[in-house]
Amino acid sequence: MREDLVVGLAGSGGDGVVSAGESLLGAASSQGFYALMTKSFGSQIRGGESSCRVRLSTRKVLNPGGVLDVAVALNWEDFRRFGAELPVGPDTVLIHEAKAGPPPEDLTPPGQRPRETLAVPLAELAKTAAGTDRAKTSVVLGLISGWFGVPLEALDRGLQKKFSQKGEGLLEANRKALAAGLAHATQRPLATPRSLARPQAPSSKLLCDGNEMCASAAIFSGCQFFGGYPITPSTEVMQILSRELPRHGGVVLQAEDEISGVGASVGASFAGKKAMTATSGPGMSLKTEILGLASIAELPLVLLNVQRGGPSTGLPTKPEQADLLQAAFSAHGDVLRPVLAPTSVEDTFRLTVEAFNLAEKYQTPVVILSDQEIAQRKETVDPIDVSRFEVLERLRPTAEELARGYQRFADTPSGVSPLSHPGMKGGNYLAAGIEHDAKGAPTASGAVHAAMNAKRFRKLDPLQSRDDFFERQGDPDAPLALVSWGSSAGVAREAFGLARARGMRVKLLVPFLLYPVAEPVYREFFASVRRGLVLELSHQGQLYRVLRMYLDVPRDVTSFARSGAQPFRADEVLERLQGLAEAS
Amino acid sequence: MDSFLAPNDYKSPLKPIWCPGCGDYGVLQALYRALSAVGRPPHEIAFISGIGCSSRIPGYTTAYGFNSVHGRALPIAQGVKLANPDLLVVVAGGDGDGFSIGGGHVPHAIRRNVDLTYLVMDNQVYGLTKGQLSPTSPRGLKTVTSPMGSLEQPINPLLTVLAYGAGFVAQATPADMPGMTTLIEEALRYPGFSFVNIQSPCVTFGEEEQQLRAHKARMKPLSSLGHDPANQLAALDLARAYGTELYTGVFYRNPDPPPTYDALIRHRQAELQRGEPRPRARVLERYLQT
Repeated sequence: MREDLVVGLAGSGGDGVVSAGESLLGAASSQGFYALMTKSFGSQIRGGESSCRVRLSTRKVLNPGGVLDVAVALNWEDFRRFGAELPVGPDTVLIHEAKAGPPPEDLTPPGQRPRETLAVPLAELAKTAAGTDRAKTSVVLGLISGWFGVPLEALDRGLQKKFSQKGEGLLEANRKALAAGLAHATQRPLATPRSLARPQAPSSKLLCDGNEMCASAAIFSGCQFFGGYPITPSTEVMQILSRELPRHGGVVLQAEDEISGVGASVGASFAGKKAMTATSGPGMSLKTEILGLASIAELPLVLLNVQRGGPSTGLPTKPEQADLLQAAFSAHGDVLRPVLAPTSVEDTFRLTVEAFNLAEKYQTPVVILSDQEIAQRKETVDPIDVSRFEVLERLRPTAEELARGYQRFADTPSGVSPLSHPGMKGGNYLAAGIEHDAKGAPTASGAVHAAMNAKRFRKLDPLQSRDDFFERQGDPDAPLALVSWGSSAGVAREAFGLARARGMRVKLLVPFLLYPVAEPVYREFFASVRRGLVLELSHQGQLYRVLRMYLDVPRDVTSFARSGAQPFRADEVLERLQGLAEAS
Repeated sequence: MDSFLAPNDYKSPLKPIWCPGCGDYGVLQALYRALSAVGRPPHEIAFISGIGCSSRIPGYTTAYGFNSVHGRALPIAQGVKLANPDLLVVVAGGDGDGFSIGGGHVPHAIRRNVDLTYLVMDNQVYGLTKGQLSPTSPRGLKTVTSPMGSLEQPINPLLTVLAYGAGFVAQATPADMPGMTTLIEEALRYPGFSFVNIQSPCVTFGEEEQQLRAHKARMKPLSSLGHDPANQLAALDLARAYGTELYTGVFYRNPDPPPTYDALIRHRQAELQRGEPRPRARVLERYLQT
C-alpha cells in the first residue's frame, strides 16, 4: 500500500482535464485524504494545452510532488508542452489515449522507461458507454479507481458535485464512463499493483486555494477597502472580495489602472480604514511610487503580489520566485518595507493576518509575496481555529492628545506615532509625500529628514526579533543546512524529512519574513553550519543574494536556484544534500 | 453642531511659498470664503492634491490634507470618499497634474460620479520646474522645452470634462474674486463630481495675456451671454472657445443630478447586510468539505 499518489493529466483545453482533477480532488478530500492540486495552462484564453496534477496522501501534503506516479496523456503534443512540470520516470505508470500512438522515446531521461505503459482507447470507451467521447476524462477517473484504489463511491460523489447542476443526462453519461473505466482496469490489472492506503481517521477539511485563503484572511482582519486592477494570477482575490466585502460593510474599487488601485487604497487608509491591493509583477512595478508615498506618509497598507514568471509579461500563468528584490527594494530613497511570504495555502491565512497586523501596528505598507503555485493550487487544510489569531488596530490619538496640540509625526521612542484620520476633531494634519516635521509641515531641512528617516526605520526594529516568522526544524548543531521560502519551501520540507530519514545531520530554516532581514535569527542558525543550500525558484537566487547583503553566509552554503515553471523535486534536493553531506 | 465658521477658521498658520502675485493666492482666499459659506468644520474635510505649485494648497488650510504624488490626487481622493462618504472631499492641482501625468484618471473619476470637487489651477505652464510646456500651453508657445515654439495642440480641459460627462463644469479667474468664490461654493454643494477650471496666472513664467490685468479685460461672464447652464449642448459649444475666449461661470450644471457612486455603494452595502449577519470569524466556513 502506498501513502502517497501523484497523478498528472494533460490534454488540450476543453478535454476536461482540470475538471477531472477537481473531481478527483473533491472525492479524495471528502474521504479524509489530504490532497493538493495544481493547474497549468498555456496563456491562451480558450483551447491550447491544459494540465493538472493531483497529489493524494494519507499524510499532510507539502508540495505538488515530483516525478509522477501516474501520468495520463490525452495526446502527446500537449503532454510534452509541460516538460518539467509533468516529469515521467522509471516508477511512473503511463496511461495514454490509444489512438495517440506509443509514447515518444525521449519522454523519459535516457536509459529509463516508465514502469508500465498502458494504451487505453479512452475516447472509444467513453463513446460506447456514455454516447459521447467528451466523457473520456471520467473513463480516466474509473481507471484510477480500479488501478490505484481510489474509492469509487468517492469519485461518484465527486461527479455528482460537479454535474448535478448541469442536468441529469450529463451526470448519468459521466457515471457510465466512470464504470467503463473501472471495468477496463479490473479486466487488465497492473503488472505491479500499487494501491493507495485509506486515511486513518476521516475528518472534515477545508478545500481552497491561496487566493481564496488570502481574501478570507483579509475579511477576517477587518479589511474595509480593496482597490485593484485585474492581473493574472492575483485577480481572484479582487473577484472574491467584490462579492464578499460589501456584505461586511467594505468597498471594492476596480480601478482604471494599477496606480489608481493602490492610490485609492492609500486614500482609504488615510481615511481610517484597513485597506489592501493585489497585483503581480508588472502591476507591482506600476504601484511602486505610491508605495513610497505610503512609507513616508506612514499609512498602513497591505499589498499582495502573486509572483509569476518575469520580467515584463514573462510567463504570466507560471510560478517563479523572482520578485523578492522588487518587493524589498523597489523604492527611491531610504525605505524599509516588510515582506512576508506564505509557503502553502494553509499558512497564507496566518501571514495575511500578520500582514494586516504589521501594517496597522507600524503604519507601513507590507508586501505579501505569494506565487502562482500557492495562489492557484487547491489544497486540503485542517480546519483553522481563527480565534487564536489576534487582530491589531492602528494606534489612534486619545481624546487628551487631540485636545493638546496633536502632532501626527511625533518622534516617539518606538517611532510609532498616533495616527488620526479625517472626521476626528483635533487630529487635522497634512499627510504628504514631501518630507515633513512632527506636525506634518513640509520641510527641506536635512536634520529633520535624517530624524524622520531614523524614526521610520526604528519603528520596524522589533521585526529583528520576531522568531515566530521563522520555521526551524532539525538538529540545532547540524553542520548541514537547507533554507527555502515560498512554494519551494514545501519541497524543502519534504527533502529535509527524507534526509533525516537517511540519517543526515541536517537542519531546515523557512523564513516567512523575508525583509527586513532578521540578522540575529540567521546568525544563530548559521553558527553551526558548514555547508548548505538556499532553495528558490529564480535564475539569480534572490533570497541567497539578499542574505549575503546582510550577513556572512558560510562560504559553502550555496544557492540552488533555477528559473520558474520548473518546480523542484524533493528527490533532486535530497541528492544535493547527500552530496554535501558526503563532502564534509 | 459647530457654530459659524469664518473664512479664517480654514486658514492654517503655514505661509504659502508661491511667488508674490501668483493667482493661487486668490484661489486660496476664495476657497476659505466658499468653505465658510458651506460651513463644514475643517476636520470633516479631506483636501487632496498631487504635485505642483498649486498642489501645495491643502497645507494652507486647516482641513485634513494630503499632498500626495504627481498626478494621483483623484485616485486617492476617490479612496477617501468611498471609505468615508460623510467627508467633504476636495481635490486640487495644476493643469499638468490633472491633464498630463494624471490625465488617465479624470474620465474614470467622472464616469463613476464620486462626489468630489476638483479645482484645477490652470496656468498653461509648468511653474514648479521653472517654465516648461504644459498640456494646456497654446500652440506656438516658446518655453525652455519648446524654444522654437510648441508644435502641439493644447488639451481643452472644459471640453474634455464635459465630454466625459461631468455634472458640474465651471470656469473662474482670480480677476473676479466674488464670481470665483460663488463658483467654488456651488461646486462644493453640487452632489456629484464637480469641476472648476481656474485660470490662475503664473506671474513668473506666464504670458502677458494670461495675467490678471489681461483677464479683467478679456473675461466674459456666461450669464451675460444668456447661457442656460442646464443646456449641455450649448455648454459644449461654448467650451470650444477655450484658449481664445475667457468665459467665466457655469458651463453646465446637471439639473437632475444622478445618484453618486458613494451613495450607490452605501445603498448596496445596506441591502447586502440586511438579514443574516456574517461574522468575520466564520469566513472560512464556505470552504469546509462535508
